[in-house]
Amino acid sequence: MIQPQSRIRRSLGDLSERALAFWLLVPAALLLGLVALYPVGRLLYTSLFRRRLTDETGNSPVFVGLDNFVQAFSDERFWTALWNTLLIVLVTVPGALVVGLGLALLANLPFRVKWPVRLGLLLPWALPLVFAGLIFRWFFDSQYGVINDVIVRLGGERLLWVTTPELLFWAICLSIIWKSSSFVALILLAGLQVIPRELYESAAVDGANRWQSFWRITLPLLLPAILVAAIFRTITAFQTFDIPFAMQNGGSSFETLAMYVRTMSIENLNFGYGSALAVLMFLISFVVTLVYLRYVRGADD
Amino acid sequence: MKWDHPRIWLWVAAAIVVINGFFPAVWILLTSFKTEGELTRIPITWLPDNPTFQNYVQAFTNAPIMRYFLNSLIVAGGATLLCVFVSALAAYALARLRIPNKTLIFSLLVGVSMFPTVTLLLPLFEMVLALGLRNNYIALILPHAALSIPVATLVLVSFFQGIPKDLESAAMVDGCSRLGALWRIVVPLSAPGVFTASILAFVNSWDEFLLALTLMPSQAMRTLPVGIQFLQGEYSFPWPLISAALVIALVPVALVIAIFQERVVGGLTQGGVKG
Repeated sequence: MIQPQSRIRRSLGDLSERALAFWLLVPAALLLGLVALYPVGRLLYTSLFRRRLTDETGNSPVFVGLDNFVQAFSDERFWTALWNTLLIVLVTVPGALVVGLGLALLANLPFRVKWPVRLGLLLPWALPLVFAGLIFRWFFDSQYGVINDVIVRLGGERLLWVTTPELLFWAICLSIIWKSSSFVALILLAGLQVIPRELYESAAVDGANRWQSFWRITLPLLLPAILVAAIFRTITAFQTFDIPFAMQNGGSSFETLAMYVRTMSIENLNFGYGSALAVLMFLISFVVTLVYLRYVRGADD
Repeated sequence: MKWDHPRIWLWVAAAIVVINGFFPAVWILLTSFKTEGELTRIPITWLPDNPTFQNYVQAFTNAPIMRYFLNSLIVAGGATLLCVFVSALAAYALARLRIPNKTLIFSLLVGVSMFPTVTLLLPLFEMVLALGLRNNYIALILPHAALSIPVATLVLVSFFQGIPKDLESAAMVDGCSRLGALWRIVVPLSAPGVFTASILAFVNSWDEFLLALTLMPSQAMRTLPVGIQFLQGEYSFPWPLISAALVIALVPVALVIAIFQERVVGGLTQGGVKG
């Protein structure tokens, strides 16, 4: 044990601070470079070629300039997938924020025993997305699902959730909202806990009721956390893949952009066009990330 | 205003949060004790009529659940070790040393963490094919480790910042090198942070589906999420078996989360909100 340590000390102990910082950052930079940065460069490059593993262009790609992007813009399946993805974002982000805010407000009450509530927020977060998809696929089963069971007990009619396109969309959205609202709640709960209690007390002294102090104190002070959660959720909702994939057992009657990118690249082995689709997806999500970074930096100042 | 909510409302509030979070897990637990016959009866039953362990027997014998479990354990364990080691080095540099462009580095970290995984999929797939690493643990360990570097680094930076600098200086005066001080003072003191980062990295890898599906697709190399997803047949949905498999897959993670919940919550909100 002593041998290697003293060797490290001899070789690294007298490095200048700057050199040490450099060498400490290198492993992380290398790994991220290999897995994240190089792939993005490679993606941009491949998107300019016709390259399919299923024909001769697999070994000798043909440079086609921006043809793949031109093709994407007239590809109906691309627009449908993009539209579906945007619908998912539009429904599930506000949905998860509202449900998450509700859960956070409930979880912030002064419970004597805190762990059941905290665990109630953590479990959905820790549950793999695919498993959430599988479980909700079963919940929404038209014959044996618990949701239709409750609907029938309440006097309603069985709904064909999985086989009716519109209902499938809502089933997917509800599953995503359930799965993601807990993470939102955890972030908002952290925000709620730093709001000084004296604010509420002095508001109460001034005669404000709970409703008023929610609108005048809680919501404005929570806004930064809400925005962060909203941007996080937007970025992940834009990448939605696992839940619709699992709920349709790999089928694609409801297809998101991520699902289309994977099918085109990995299933159809159309590397050139698949890359172009991925580049488009990357660009959209990059813009949202820039907004986020600007917002966070602005909030830090 | 006094915070004397009537106790009944507290119970209702707690019940809503707890039921919302636990219901799916409890439901699959109940289902895993039901027979196929009971599951295909209408109206459906909520509690199992004749609780049976048959599904677990089947999950352990017929379906290669234990193999998937082992694969998940190797991948998530390897990715966590690699990720936390690499992130701890970087986080120490970011927390303690003078570095030019520190803000830029933090922005890059957060930016990279938001790359859509699916856009990295094809280049990674090509690399893995070219290197002949498809269905090799390495093919999944490296990307899983890398994808958790941002969150692990952010969590560790804030822990390192909380350790008084004087301790380190004292150790260095006593003849420790800077790296020696890192190893003997900072690392032990930041054990909770290292632990939190490890849990986050582990859960991220344990849950990951898209890369695992594409880079380790062969039957013997599937991780739990991929393996269990493929228990669905084209025309069949063997739900009793799937729910038993789900319970087996969820128990370890649920235990870790339950035991270390405060750390996990702290880590999540630090890594998330601080950005």
